[in-house]
Amino acid sequence: MKTSLAEDNPQLRMSVAAVLTWLMPGAGHLYIRERARGLIILVTIAITFWVGVAVGGLSNTVSPGGRSLWFMGQICAGGHALAAWGLGTWVDPSPVPKRDPKFVAFGRSEEISVVYTAICGMLNILVIFDVLVRAEKPLIQAGRTPPAAKGAAG
Amino acid sequence: MIELLATLMINPLPLVRWQQALLLLPLCLCISIIYKTIKCENLREIPMAVLKNWITIVIGMYVVGIALLLIYELLA
Repeated sequence: MKTSLAEDNPQLRMSVAAVLTWLMPGAGHLYIRERARGLIILVTIAITFWVGVAVGGLSNTVSPGGRSLWFMGQICAGGHALAAWGLGTWVDPSPVPKRDPKFVAFGRSEEISVVYTAICGMLNILVIFDVLVRAEKPLIQAGRTPPAAKGAAG
Repeated sequence: MIELLATLMINPLPLVRWQQALLLLPLCLCISIIYKTIKCENLREIPMAVLKNWITIVIGMYVVGIALLLIYELLA
């Protein structure tokens, strides 16, 4: 039976799945043919991320200059965060944050949106680990050594 | 419709306190769905597992929130 390059090369398969998941949460699961799981993850993270953005507004939510620590969490959602960042700069090109982040109180709409989007990013880290394990699984079941075990042995 | 979407995405929503507290529900639901989708091997188990996990998180978070509010009110 003819197999694709990624199926022959397990390291490539795992890497492609992880990168796809980072770019679009759930896409890695679709790639490794976990279609239902991939769709659930894709829809859930996309809706939650963009509901967060809708609550707080584009330029307030993903702002690497104003909220750099939160941005580290948000960027784990990959494509969503990059799209929101790009759209935010397009809508409001001023690089200076409107308020000093030190004095932004908890509980405002902007903070809720930042929490929503950063949690989506952190959930995507779990999803990336899951897709790596699932991409490795058929190799273990077939009796082949997964790349991680090869690295540890070598 | 486009104007409404643009307003939604550009300006923060003017939410009052109880509306902010309600926004905990969809966030907890998202966390439960992703967590249980990863954990459950059988996809049929997911809805019930998500429901149980969601209720547990929501009750836990509101209990912690109310307890902290009471401590704050007592100390104030």
